[in-house]
Amino acid sequence: MSSQSSRAHLVIKHPIEPDAEPAVRLNDVRLTYETKEGKRLDAVDPTTLTIRAGEMTALVGPSGCGKTSLLRIIAGLTPPSGGEVAVFGQPPKVAQQHKRLGLVFQEPALLAWRSVADNIRLGLQLNPRETHSSTEIDELIEMVGLRGFERYRPAELSGGMQQRVALARALAIDPPLLLLDEPFAALDEITREQMRYEVQRLWGISHDPTEPPRSAIFVTHSVPEAVAIADRVLVMSPRPGRIVADIPVSTPRPRRPEHEHSDRFINDTAIVRAALRSPTTPAVPLDAA
Amino acid sequence: MISEPIPDLDTLDGPEPRSRRLSRPDLRPTLTWILPPLVALLLLAVAVELWVRLGDVSIWLMPRPTTVIESFFVDFGRYFNEGLKTLAVSLGGLAIGTAAATLLAAGVAHSQMLERAVLPIAIMVKVTPVVALIPLFIIWLGHGWNPKIAIAALITYFPVLINAIAGFRDVDPRMHDFFRSVNASTWEIFRHLRWPAAVPYLFASLKISVTLSLIGAVVAEFFLSGQGGLGAVIWIEQNSLRLEQVFASVLMLTIIGVTLSTAVVVAERLFSWRLDQPVTAS
Repeated sequence: MSSQSSRAHLVIKHPIEPDAEPAVRLNDVRLTYETKEGKRLDAVDPTTLTIRAGEMTALVGPSGCGKTSLLRIIAGLTPPSGGEVAVFGQPPKVAQQHKRLGLVFQEPALLAWRSVADNIRLGLQLNPRETHSSTEIDELIEMVGLRGFERYRPAELSGGMQQRVALARALAIDPPLLLLDEPFAALDEITREQMRYEVQRLWGISHDPTEPPRSAIFVTHSVPEAVAIADRVLVMSPRPGRIVADIPVSTPRPRRPEHEHSDRFINDTAIVRAALRSPTTPAVPLDAA
Repeated sequence: MISEPIPDLDTLDGPEPRSRRLSRPDLRPTLTWILPPLVALLLLAVAVELWVRLGDVSIWLMPRPTTVIESFFVDFGRYFNEGLKTLAVSLGGLAIGTAAATLLAAGVAHSQMLERAVLPIAIMVKVTPVVALIPLFIIWLGHGWNPKIAIAALITYFPVLINAIAGFRDVDPRMHDFFRSVNASTWEIFRHLRWPAAVPYLFASLKISVTLSLIGAVVAEFFLSGQGGLGAVIWIEQNSLRLEQVFASVLMLTIIGVTLSTAVVVAERLFSWRLDQPVTAS
């Protein structure tokens, strides 16, 4: 690893490590449902994909295209109907056991009876033998801007603040892979645009120098959001979902809201939009994973 | 032109005012709630008193409210002691019934097989008037406290079972996914997710069960009049047509019922995280 540090804070500036063990490797992964009438329904067509360590990947596509299904397969929450899934070279179940996955959903999904601080602490509390992280809850609360709200209950917070609690809860276990399923979809536009840059600031911060740089998969149906956040945008076709384009984002890091007016940003969003419009003809050829 | 200052993002994202349902309401009942029913009750008593006196109603049919009150205070020690026995049966049955129902509900919430096996039987018990089993319970469990507690337990059992199952299952699937994503054990999911989710449901069912257990206790005491308790007092006194004793016993039962129900409400406010009531499942 390039940036070893003995200090409590190790800020990784998004170094993609092409030689490291990939965060995620999918090989011909597909998902087929059986409907009540006994008909087969293809949710995800065979997908082959590699997500490198330290890479922030956005997954965009129309509603119901299988983005969430793909994310759940990677998280080990839905078993695929076929193909191989490897998270840091091992089955997703192993990543769960070692608490190397940080999940954030569209809804905050917080425990209503717990305070903000206790909700953030939840991941550390569960499966305690695997808690290695020295993450200070106080520090995390400071980082997500919730100082002073530690003792509030979720119902007393706004939607944006609740989602920040969910983000802090995912980060508390210091996972090398963040899986974000439309985390800002339920937020108002103003909070949403603010969160784009907040999540980028937070996702690279890690305490554990032995882990690879943090990777993230960010599911969204907002093109500007995908381009603003990701190093790479994967475009999915309507169901059965299939990755039809793999578009690198050229805007340099660290990114700021002003970048959304730059030519690069506008150009990248145009490429993504084109790929979404005509999913059969990839705008940029798929890289051979 | 309207030129409002642009609020900064921090205040826009600020907390909403503390919602009312989360601020704990005052436990002290206010006069506005206590006084009107007391006045109504007093007026009713005065009306009955006048009706009995002026209408020359036989005291074998309807005692004067004043003699009932007199009996209640003169014989207070007796009503109190017999009331304690009834209360003990009621609470014993409630404790056993609630514990057994909660345990079974925890099993049912985790196993569809167990649900399919147990729920039809539980519903059969629910539609059967449990008090019909008292003679059997006396044969099986003898003449002591046991048959009475068993009836009180059985009668409280069903509402707790149904509510607890609903509570243990009232779990946000996304939240459940989060627990799974860190490889939480079934026990951890129960302890930190299912159990807290069920607490408001359990209190809702306790409100129903607490009065049911009193019914079970009193009816069982009718059958076991040698064992004491207010049910036994009522049974014995009505045989001698001493209606003021019957009414005084009923008055004591009302006081016990109000006390028990109030205790559940107070406990709920102290121990339940959610103050607005969930929809009960029964």
